[in-house]
Amino acid sequence: MRLLVIEDERKTGEYLKKGLEESGFTVDLASNGIDGLHLALEDDYDLVVLDVMLPRLDGWGVVKQLRSKKQTPVLFLTARDAIEDRVKGLELGGDDYLVKPFAFVELLARIRTLLRRGPARQVEQLGIGDLEIDVIRRRVRRGSHRIDLTPREFALLHLLAERRGEVLSRTQIASYVWDMNFDSDTNVVEVAIRRLRSKIDDPYELKLIHTVRGMGYVMDVNEPG
Amino acid sequence: MRLSLSARLALIFSLISIMSLSLVGVILFDALSDQVYVQDDLGIVLATRHLRRLAAELDTTEGVREHQERLVSLVLGDPALAMRIEAADGTALIDYNPPHIHMIALPATEATQRVVTAQIHRWTDGGATPVRGVASMAALRDGSSVKISVARSMSDRASLLENYRNVIWATVTSTAVVAVVLCYLLVRRALAPLRAISASAQVITAERLDSRIDVKGTPLELDDLTQALNAMLQRLQLGFDRLWHFTADLAHDLRTPIANMRGASEVALTRTRSASEYQALLASNIEECDRVSRMIENVLFLARAESPQFALHRSEFDAGEELQRIAEYFEGVSAEKAVQVQVSGQARLSAERELFRRAVSNLLANALRYTPSGQTITLTAAQTDQGVSIQVRNPGEGIAPPDLAKVFDRFYRGDKARSNSGTSTGLGLAIVKTIVEIHGGTALARSEVGGVTTFELLFPVG
Repeated sequence: MRLLVIEDERKTGEYLKKGLEESGFTVDLASNGIDGLHLALEDDYDLVVLDVMLPRLDGWGVVKQLRSKKQTPVLFLTARDAIEDRVKGLELGGDDYLVKPFAFVELLARIRTLLRRGPARQVEQLGIGDLEIDVIRRRVRRGSHRIDLTPREFALLHLLAERRGEVLSRTQIASYVWDMNFDSDTNVVEVAIRRLRSKIDDPYELKLIHTVRGMGYVMDVNEPG
Repeated sequence: MRLSLSARLALIFSLISIMSLSLVGVILFDALSDQVYVQDDLGIVLATRHLRRLAAELDTTEGVREHQERLVSLVLGDPALAMRIEAADGTALIDYNPPHIHMIALPATEATQRVVTAQIHRWTDGGATPVRGVASMAALRDGSSVKISVARSMSDRASLLENYRNVIWATVTSTAVVAVVLCYLLVRRALAPLRAISASAQVITAERLDSRIDVKGTPLELDDLTQALNAMLQRLQLGFDRLWHFTADLAHDLRTPIANMRGASEVALTRTRSASEYQALLASNIEECDRVSRMIENVLFLARAESPQFALHRSEFDAGEELQRIAEYFEGVSAEKAVQVQVSGQARLSAERELFRRAVSNLLANALRYTPSGQTITLTAAQTDQGVSIQVRNPGEGIAPPDLAKVFDRFYRGDKARSNSGTSTGLGLAIVKTIVEIHGGTALARSEVGGVTTFELLFPVG
């Protein structure tokens, strides 16, 4: 997958390129709107990550001109998150936006969502190691043991298992599982993970839920990194 | 064109005075000229009637010539009168004309008909001199008839009236001018307190919000204005004070995470560390960054919510169900603390759901922080006459009255020792208050020391 990052802040551009390359993407970096637009029109990228505040031609100008020729998905990065700014970005043809400062895992998740064309396939059975999840009957087993979960615990486990290997931030988890779309001064997600672990992981040798410090949580057979 | 209030009032006043004075002048002029003409017309008619009576005593047209002196004596009293008697064939028997009127052929009243002022004709002699006159037939004894014409030159009356008119106009104009000037000066003088108010307003700046407009010496009408301005200044001063403290507190609160990041990074760089130590440092830095982001997000939320452009996206929902949902969100945290959360009540509420959740979540997070384990927090929704009441009640140490007054202040933290714990930004309850207030409601806090603390959100009806 080829991505184009248009970002004038040198440090931001560098870490975005590095992080996205390490996540398996091929990344080109442009440091102003004119160069970025030129590259986006010349080459065929799968997605453009676009900063709004750019020298010479701002992000809105880039997406406007790009849309007249191509339908490459565009993800806006912006430090301004007034509703009008968001609306303007989406109206001009942006596909998603992310407000700075953002968690890198969230950027990755958004990019993957935009690249995944069509609706996500609803899987009926999920299995990680000896953990089996029956999505339809809402039943969970580890080996031969049946595990009882509350509805929210099941929703949390389902989310983590469905996104196997993908780091999920606390904000993402709160939003998906409880539909709480704001940062609160609470450790609700930590506690929920801890309680889920006490049922899923603690009694067993092989741990499946892993903490990525400072970033979030990931579910897999092996520890990340 | 924009005119000053003084000029505008002076102009209006002068228009009114010119109009009323002109009206008085016109009425007086008309009354006088009517009077003058009525007198003169009566003179003309009386002279004609006398002449006709005298003529009736004469035998022939010759007799008219013979009695010229007697006949003329009837019009001698007024030097502006002229008189002419002519025979039926048109020859003049008497032509007495000291004012040199050019006599025209007037239609004559029949000898048997009474001469009245209504029959008086008016014409202009030589294009300048107004003349009024009347003619009548008179029967002599021998049966022949003569035509008697009497006319009066009105030049003396015209010049009198013209003089009179000039005097009226001069009076009207000069009075109006004086009225304008006096009015302008008076209005300016009356508006002097306004200039004083504007002068005191000019010295008020953000740094000098403590100065007030002097109420002494201002007229009663301006009392409301000065009091309103002073009340506005009072509010602005409070707002600025709050903003100033807010900025200072914000800067102070931002220092801690930045100091942590900087300090920990510097220490880490003093010597070579193991990979896991670097990882721990970076992870800790991310946590500090999250804290800063959360503060920025909260501060921006407050700023935006208080801006006049903020638009609420209301929808109608059951507050009880929402409370249930929020309690579920905190299910893990409360279970871990061994605190029960009881939800009861139902109430239809029209509000922005996301904001409602945020407010109640903040209250519940706060309650969980202060409730001893084993105890119960209650969340209730109730429909009242005034609207919807949401209560969050928790047992605990309670909040002392002086602190209770400050719980909704920004950056206020009840537990000083915890102020540096990474989770609380000290903005949670301030956000609660702001959310309720942009819905037009109020947030209240009640507490018994060592007893139950209640936070109540009142949302007014629709």
